[in-house]
Amino acid sequence: MAEGERSPRQLLTIGVVGGLIGIYLANYLNSTTGTAWFSFFAGLGAVLAVFWGADAVRRVASYGLGTGVPSIGLLSLGAGQVAVLLGLAVAMNYSIHWAAPIIALILAAIIGLVSGVMARRVIKMNIAIMERSMMEIAMAASLIMLGFSTTIAGGFGFDLIMKYVVASGFIIAVFIVGGMAMLHPFNACLGPDERQKRTLNLALSTGFIAMLVAGIAAGAINGIQAAVPTMIIAIFGWIIYYLRFFADTKQDAAAVLSTGLLPKEEEVA
Amino acid sequence: MFSLLYWVWIILGGILIGAGVHFIPVGGAPAAMSQATGVGTGTTMLAAASGLTGLIGAGSAYAATGGDFGYTIVMGGISAALMISILAFIANVMYVYGAGVPLASAKVKYDPISKWRQDLYVSRGTEGHGTPMSSFISGIIGAFLAGVGGALVYFALAASYAGIPGFGATFAGYPAPYYVSLAAAFAIGIFFLNCVMASYNIGGTIEGFHDPKFRRLPKSILASLVVSAVGGLFALLIVVMLPGGI
Repeated sequence: MAEGERSPRQLLTIGVVGGLIGIYLANYLNSTTGTAWFSFFAGLGAVLAVFWGADAVRRVASYGLGTGVPSIGLLSLGAGQVAVLLGLAVAMNYSIHWAAPIIALILAAIIGLVSGVMARRVIKMNIAIMERSMMEIAMAASLIMLGFSTTIAGGFGFDLIMKYVVASGFIIAVFIVGGMAMLHPFNACLGPDERQKRTLNLALSTGFIAMLVAGIAAGAINGIQAAVPTMIIAIFGWIIYYLRFFADTKQDAAAVLSTGLLPKEEEVA
Repeated sequence: MFSLLYWVWIILGGILIGAGVHFIPVGGAPAAMSQATGVGTGTTMLAAASGLTGLIGAGSAYAATGGDFGYTIVMGGISAALMISILAFIANVMYVYGAGVPLASAKVKYDPISKWRQDLYVSRGTEGHGTPMSSFISGIIGAFLAGVGGALVYFALAASYAGIPGFGATFAGYPAPYYVSLAAAFAIGIFFLNCVMASYNIGGTIEGFHDPKFRRLPKSILASLVVSAVGGLFALLIVVMLPGGI
C-alpha cells in the first residue's frame, strides 16, 4: 500500500456502514413520511458500496486473474443477487424487516467465501487474498443490488422488491449497471501507473452513472418524487467525480500533448 | 415447495455449465488481435452471450409448452449452440476477410476432426488465429452442454417458485408472472457463478477439447458442484421462507 492510500479496513467501514445507513434512511424516511422523496439515500449508499467494491476488485485483480477484470465482478453480482433476495425472504418469514440488509450481507459473505475457497483451494489460483477479496466483493455487490433496488422500489420489503424490481425486469439493469460500476474503474485504470485515488474517483463517477440509471427506473415506479432528487444528485456527482478523475489522469500522465487534427491527404504521403 | 430433486438438477446444471465452458474456444484479448485461437473475447462475455440466448430459448419453450421438461432442456441447449456458432462464424469471416489471417491452431499439428495441417499456417510469434474446425465443433458441443445446464437451473427454479402463493401474479401489463422473472434472474446469477469458476480453471483461454488445458476439467467439476450447491440451496430456500407467499 502506497502512502496516502486508503486502507482496506477503512474502505470496508465506509462501504458497509455507508451502504447500510443509506438503505435504512431511504426505507424508513420513505415509510414514515409516506412519500418516495428519500429514495436517493439508498442510491448514495450503493455508491459508497461501489467505492468499496471497486477497491476490493482493484486489490485482487492486480494479481492478474487471467480472465479479465469483469469476470470477478459478474461472479460476485451473481452471488450477491441470490443473497439479497434470500435475505429479504428470511426477514419477511421471521418478521424482522429491519434486519433484511444485514442478513443479505451475511449470506453474500457466505457465498463469496465459498467461491473464494473453491477458486484458491480447488482450482488452485495462486492469489493469497482470494478468499477475503471474493467475500468483500460479494458483500459489496449485495449492498449495491439492495441499494439500487431500494431506490427503485422505495423500500426494501420482499414484496416491494419482488414486484417493482424483479417482476418489472429492472433487476437485470441493476445487475449489469451495478456490476459495471464496480468492475470498470480498475479495468480502465490498470497498469503499472495505476493509483488508488484515480481509480476510486472513477469508481465514484461510475457509481453515480449507475445511480442515474436507478433514478430513471425509479421514475417508472414512484414517479417524480423518487426520480428527480436521485437523478439530480447522480448527475452532479457524476460530473464532479468525472472531472476529478480527469484531473488525476492529467496529473499522473508524463505529459499531456495535443496531437492536432488528422493530417490532410497530401501531407500523409 | 422445497424439493431435493430440484436441488440436484441445479447442481447438475451448474456442473454442465462449468464443463461446457471447457469446450468453448475462448480466445480472450490475444484472440481479439488475432494472436491466439478462439473467439476474441473473454469467457464471461462468450458464455453470457450463448448462455443467455439458451435461457431465452428455454424460457420461451417453458412458457409455450406449460413447463414441459424435455422441450425446455433441448431448446436451451440448441439456442445456446446456435448462438456460439453464429458468434464463431461471424468472427471467422472477420479474421479471414478483415484481418487476413488463415484459421489455424498452434496447439496441435493436425486438426483432430478435419485432419488438416495446422502448424504451417500459424504466423510466427502467435498462438494461432480464428476458430478452426475442431474448435468450432467443440464450441457447439460446449454451448449445448452449457445451454442444457442453464435450462436445467431455470426449470428447477421456475418449477419451485411456481408453487409459492401469489407468484402467479404479473407486474402491470407484462405477460410473465413473478416466478418466471425470479427464476430467470437467479438462473443468470448461477450461470455467472459457474462459468467464471470454470474460466478461472482454464486460465482465461482454451481452444477446445483438443487443448491440453482440457484435462483440468475434474477440478472445475468439483468447484461447480460446491458453488452451485450453495447458490442453489440459497435460491431454493426462498421457497421455504415464503410459506404464505407475498
